[in-house]
Amino acid sequence: MGHVSKRLYSSASKLAVSTSRLKQFPPKEAILVPDSGKPNFFDPELWAALQPPPTSALTAFAHRIGLANVLSSADVVRRACTHKSFLNLHAKYYPSSPTPPTNANLATLGNSLMGLFASEHLHAAYPHLPTRVLKAAVSAHVGPLTCASVAQEMGAVPLLRWHRQPTTPMSPALLHSDALASIPRAITALVYQEISLQSARKFVQSFFLSRQVDLRSMIRFRDPKRALIETVEKFGRERPKSRLLKETGRYSNSPVFVVGIFSGQDKLGEGFGSSLKMAEYRAAEDSLHRLYLTRTPDHLLQVPSSTFPFKQGNIYKTGLEVPYTPGVLGEAEILYASSGRSNIVAPKRPTLEEIEARREGLDV
Amino acid sequence: MLKPRLSLWFTRSYATRIAEKPAARFPDPLLNAPNVAVKTLKDENLTFIHRPPPTAPSPHSTTLAPASPLLKSPTPSNKHAPMPPFLRPSAYNAAPLRMSDKDIEQLRKLRLSNPEKHSRAKLAKLFKCTPNFVSKIAALPRPKRKEFARKMEAEHDTVREQWGEKKATFVAIKQKRREFW
Repeated sequence: MGHVSKRLYSSASKLAVSTSRLKQFPPKEAILVPDSGKPNFFDPELWAALQPPPTSALTAFAHRIGLANVLSSADVVRRACTHKSFLNLHAKYYPSSPTPPTNANLATLGNSLMGLFASEHLHAAYPHLPTRVLKAAVSAHVGPLTCASVAQEMGAVPLLRWHRQPTTPMSPALLHSDALASIPRAITALVYQEISLQSARKFVQSFFLSRQVDLRSMIRFRDPKRALIETVEKFGRERPKSRLLKETGRYSNSPVFVVGIFSGQDKLGEGFGSSLKMAEYRAAEDSLHRLYLTRTPDHLLQVPSSTFPFKQGNIYKTGLEVPYTPGVLGEAEILYASSGRSNIVAPKRPTLEEIEARREGLDV
Repeated sequence: MLKPRLSLWFTRSYATRIAEKPAARFPDPLLNAPNVAVKTLKDENLTFIHRPPPTAPSPHSTTLAPASPLLKSPTPSNKHAPMPPFLRPSAYNAAPLRMSDKDIEQLRKLRLSNPEKHSRAKLAKLFKCTPNFVSKIAALPRPKRKEFARKMEAEHDTVREQWGEKKATFVAIKQKRREFW
């Protein structure tokens, strides 16, 4: 057996190519020697990447994630696992075959749906979270990296069909995680299409929103004391003042200070540190964490999309499915380090003269 | 052989009762816990006693029982209630009186006309306020602020180049430690 055929068999077994579905194995491209004297370039890995995943693997995947009634046929699953970057590769090597359906539209729809469900869930769960932090929390729950992790946990990695694309002047590079992330999004869109919005929300809830995300460690501040002063002013309370609660070993090489920040008689937060400044910094952070991470209890958590009907059909029909009480709206955000236009440098737009000069330059 | 003339050598003229310092005894924190939550389940004959450590901030805050006093009504101020001491001695000074509009206008004029001559510190001393207050009400336009920052950085760089290896290392360690606050 030549080294090419050895690589072919090892690649086929590694990448789960179903040889039973093929008309002929080894394929014609691997063994054919052209008469014209041109050298025969055959890449086993490339050939294996072009083959569709076997039906058994696709059906097993649908059953594994509990959506066998939604992903009714293997073709639907195959479509959900094909990224749009695969089309170029397929057209290059099999130009006469029909183009395989991809998950591009489904992934876009599913991404919007997941963004909707995550935003409303997190906003209802943490009503006092500022916008910038809410966006980061939504990314942590349903962002591209999380979607790629979930796809790996589901076992969709050997089913993915894609083609790596390097950075071009018009587009950034396509990475494996981006292609993998399209699979759960496509599945969300399929659940929405086949059943209803509520079922799609249940799917996103069970796979994404039930994940443990430590928001406390994610929230960092550039200047927590300043942010706290502005926040307390927004709430109309007395100016915060730092007080020393406990200390030990002040002149030793390992002191510990516990500082509390008070607004009048109320302790907003406390923090410890090896210096007074460090303890005060941590106390300011703790005060803001206590405010931002105030969570709605699960039995009181209600999201607006729960008012849509369960059954398929017109979602705008009158009559609520579930009685809905809107949640508490948090206090308005402070300006400092909010998701405003600070630190955004817009590209300079050309003036009218410059546009005309460019046009004249082209004409001349 | 030397006889102590003054009582330089401190000699006891009595015998001690105990040879060693007695072992330190600390009060049992479980007995004197200020925030004790006791819940008894009579039918299962169980008692739950929750004694949170005194300086651990509560990580759980719900909308029904928020940990932040900003989400609850403020406690009525009581001037005679004992409070822990302020962190810094300057907090005991009275807050400065509100500056008049005339003074603010003059401060702004001086600062914006010649920021090098009329520095924040000098203006703060003159008008009896803080340098941060001067920055807030008489902020320089952005290009000038950047120019100042660049000049400062250049001056500091010349000083930093004169540091030895050890000093540079220690300063770098301090900066890294600051990142972990």
